[in-house]
Amino acid sequence: MDVGLLAQYVMNGLMLGMMYTLVAVGFTLFFGVLDIIKFSHGDVLTVGAFTALATYIGLRSAGVSSTPLLLLAMLVVAILAMAALGMLIARYLVMPLRSAPALNTLLITLMLGTVLRELVRLFYPQGANPKPFPALLPTASINLGQFNLRLDNALMLAAGGLAIVGLQLLLNRTKLGLAIRAVAQDEETARTMGVNFTAVVLITFAIGSALAAYAGIMNGLYYNEINFGMGLYLGVIGFAAAIIGGLGSIYGAILGGFLFAALQTIGTVALPFASAYKDVFAFTVVIALIAWRPTGLIQEKISERV
Amino acid sequence: MSEVMQKMRAPLLPGVVALALSTAYLIALLAAEKQALIIGLLAFAVVAVLAAHYLGWLNLVSRSFADQEDVLGIYAILAACVVAAFFHDNHFVLLLFVTVLLYTVATLGLNIQFGYAGVLNFAGASFFGIGAYTSAVLSTYTAVPHLLVLLIGGMLAALIGSLLLVPVLRTRGHYAALVTIAFALLLKTFLEVNNVLGGPQGMQVKGMSILGWSFNDNFEIGKIEMSFYLNYFVVSMLLLTGTFVLVRRLERSWIGLNLDALRLDEIAASCFGLDIARWKITAFLLGNFLIGIAGALFGMVGGFVAPNNYTFADSLIMVSILLLGGIGNPWGLVVATFIVVVVPEKLQTIQEYRILLFALIVIMMLLFRPEGLLPRPVRRYFPGWRA
Amino acid sequence: MSRIARLSIIFASALFVGAPVATAQAKDKVKVGFIGPLTGGVSANGLGGRNSADLAVKLRNAHAKTKYEYELVVLDDECKPNVAVQVATKMAADKEIVAAATHYCSATAIATVDVYHKFGFPIIVWGAVLPDITYRAKYAEVHRVNGTMINQNDANAELISKIGFKNVAVIHDTTDYGKGHNEYFSKAFAKLGGKIVGTFGVTADQQDFTAELTQIKALNPEVIYFGGLTPIGVRIRSQMDKLGIKAVFDGTSGIVSDAFIQGLGPLAEGSLAFREGAPTEKLPGGKFFMENYAAQKYDNPPEAYGAFSFAAMDLILDSIEKVGPDRKKVIQELANVKERDSIVGKVTFDDHGQNTVAVITKYVVQDGKFVEWDDSEYATGKRKLPGQK
Repeated sequence: MDVGLLAQYVMNGLMLGMMYTLVAVGFTLFFGVLDIIKFSHGDVLTVGAFTALATYIGLRSAGVSSTPLLLLAMLVVAILAMAALGMLIARYLVMPLRSAPALNTLLITLMLGTVLRELVRLFYPQGANPKPFPALLPTASINLGQFNLRLDNALMLAAGGLAIVGLQLLLNRTKLGLAIRAVAQDEETARTMGVNFTAVVLITFAIGSALAAYAGIMNGLYYNEINFGMGLYLGVIGFAAAIIGGLGSIYGAILGGFLFAALQTIGTVALPFASAYKDVFAFTVVIALIAWRPTGLIQEKISERV
Repeated sequence: MSEVMQKMRAPLLPGVVALALSTAYLIALLAAEKQALIIGLLAFAVVAVLAAHYLGWLNLVSRSFADQEDVLGIYAILAACVVAAFFHDNHFVLLLFVTVLLYTVATLGLNIQFGYAGVLNFAGASFFGIGAYTSAVLSTYTAVPHLLVLLIGGMLAALIGSLLLVPVLRTRGHYAALVTIAFALLLKTFLEVNNVLGGPQGMQVKGMSILGWSFNDNFEIGKIEMSFYLNYFVVSMLLLTGTFVLVRRLERSWIGLNLDALRLDEIAASCFGLDIARWKITAFLLGNFLIGIAGALFGMVGGFVAPNNYTFADSLIMVSILLLGGIGNPWGLVVATFIVVVVPEKLQTIQEYRILLFALIVIMMLLFRPEGLLPRPVRRYFPGWRA
Repeated sequence: MSRIARLSIIFASALFVGAPVATAQAKDKVKVGFIGPLTGGVSANGLGGRNSADLAVKLRNAHAKTKYEYELVVLDDECKPNVAVQVATKMAADKEIVAAATHYCSATAIATVDVYHKFGFPIIVWGAVLPDITYRAKYAEVHRVNGTMINQNDANAELISKIGFKNVAVIHDTTDYGKGHNEYFSKAFAKLGGKIVGTFGVTADQQDFTAELTQIKALNPEVIYFGGLTPIGVRIRSQMDKLGIKAVFDGTSGIVSDAFIQGLGPLAEGSLAFREGAPTEKLPGGKFFMENYAAQKYDNPPEAYGAFSFAAMDLILDSIEKVGPDRKKVIQELANVKERDSIVGKVTFDDHGQNTVAVITKYVVQDGKFVEWDDSEYATGKRKLPGQK
């Protein structure tokens, strides 16, 4: 295969992988602190993207035309709004169900996801239709044979990487990160050591949801289109990525996210009969992986004691 | 002894009255056309049920159902027939009714898996779809007798489901949820990209016919024209009755006991010598088999199958029915299916908002009544005996 | 559309036709139906069709001499075959509804024809172009006022080879609509000596096409033919740009909608599209239709197929006026439609219920508008498509 073409595939895969990873990291964070799956995560991403779009439209009609300013405003508004939404979800839907079976939490967040999705569909103006998302990043490109490197894609990739590195530093180098890790490891002990459990949970949900908003904007900038259903698909893939990586591990989420994107890309290139089967291929491998490693590739360091 | 037990049986009357009232109510609701009337009827139902609950009548009814299930079961079948007869020429109401019956069969299958054995299945709609596609393919390309098609639909669902056995057995909790979720997505995408099975376009399904009796033609009894859906009603009712009896028997047998033990504590159950894998497999396959049969019949009723009918969201609706009805209680499932299928259909004004409302209702249920509308009662080892 | 908007439409129309309704109260009520995609990616076309059918009913009711008072029942097929079968069953099973104008999407129309046949429910398709809808089976219930995709693709292949393009890559959605387009276009183009360098089927709700487009890029075609509807058309066109693909984007009737241009902005420039029938403003009754449509102040424009929807509904109402609200009689009456004047020209149903529309309009997007090819600056050579000599 042509080297340029190969590079193009790698670039496509990396972009997909970055978006999956940002979603998967959220799943893993929530699981870490509360041992729950918050399935509305993908739809928080949708709401984040729509919030950003509304901000853009609002500012444009108010006469703001500076691209960096618009982008910054979109990021700030969407991230803050989703962080707040994440905290509300944690406080009023997830925490009250702590003593209930895990299935209940899974279902309630699934249903919340449905609610968010339907709210966008019904109450955002013409929300049922796909919405064009503005291209705010410079679109200059370099053509190297079959490989077309666009500046906006490179920027987004870098931005995604920065977000993950930032999160990693936050978790490993700050007091807050220490508290989060403490709660993730052992809630009871963390409490006795004076960690404010509720605050840590709320902050974790805020961080995870902010990442979703970030991913939502990235998705919008990449495809130049958003729709009310995008979060469902991304959410499921993010969930799958977090699981095959191993829940509760950031590295697992990163591994899972890029692995899933790689599977899809390989599915397209290597399956000679039809590229349309790429998702079938990817999910088949996911099921096989989970059968082989029932608790993910990077396994939780806890064994069940009787 | 037996005399004492006879005496301690709860009276039949509350159950019969409840059934009669629900039948009358159901007919009124299904026949109602005006939106105001429908909203009024629904509000009335909520108030009536709440009132009955606080007056203790609901308790009487449920005791009556618990003790006199056999008799009341037969009355329930009669009630369903009365409703069907009342709407004998109304295609749409009968279609709705048949949908309810078949969804109930499918959720009964899920109930065996999750309610009894505790095996998560987020791909209920996928197995339903496998059944439906089976009848599409077999009725289009082969001359296999249609009753056999139903059976094959069930067997295929179980067979394809068995591909998931290894991951299902090896995983727990959230990891187990992923297995069926991934399968649901995989199957939908597969159906979409696979040209042989009609792709996203879907396939037509021929109507059922048994011994030359074509189910898709209207027929007449005396001078009265009957809707062809009445045919399907009869078959669906038979299927539901059979499934219901099977599930009930299963629950009360030692198999049901094993499954309960397995769900409540896997480790303890295996300490007592239960073969965990064996019973999980049994429950998973049997559940999928039932879902597949219901799906095969539903394919024929609808006359059309498409990948979009069997998405993850549809599986979620099935799980929600289970939860709404009260996990593990077959009677609760019947009620919950009626609510989930019929109410949005009748409430045209909320047509657009129905998914939203439905999701909100489930969230409320989970927050305030997580055990469902009719929670499964504690297992009773002796009929008539109450602690 | 929001409920408030809908209510205001109803309110406004009540004002508009208020007086005649008041005098017509003694008339029997007759229900007629409309089905189209009111939500989802192609809802603009569906709403345009719905408004046009609604207009036909209103104008009829406003007429003092009608025998009946008509009520329009509207259902949404979401452009999905499964939903379409549900709503078609619902409508056909309702005995009060006599006949209906149905479906913009071919995928939904082909899925539902059996339902209409089963229930003996007369319908006129107003927008779907797949030939099979009328020609796969000979159902007396099924009619169509618009043309099929065969002529459309002949015209498409002809134009492309006339411009001088030889290599075309095909992307089509895998519903019957996209598959049909792929089949008829590939056939027509091969006949003219062109070469299809690659064919890619994609699902109708696919988001990411970079993988397919990267493969296409390696094939280096001059034209990318797209058989599908607006939403994925928009995605594919914009992702072509991402990957630096310079080929001409050649669409079908499925992308002739304002949403395509709105979704793409300047990127839409130079996209080709084809539609059967003359442009609305050039139709015999086009002016009459556009004026009345404008008078109702609907939220959405009639879009490409509004006039057909109006004509279909008008034919239904004519038939009911003549033979009464009886499905069987309406079917018989529709079979007799020959050389009937309508706003889309003369309508003649052949023995399959297909109206024969020979005219095909060729469009190119120029300065944010669908312009007829022959009137465009591309045809005169003032502007050039990428690769045009």
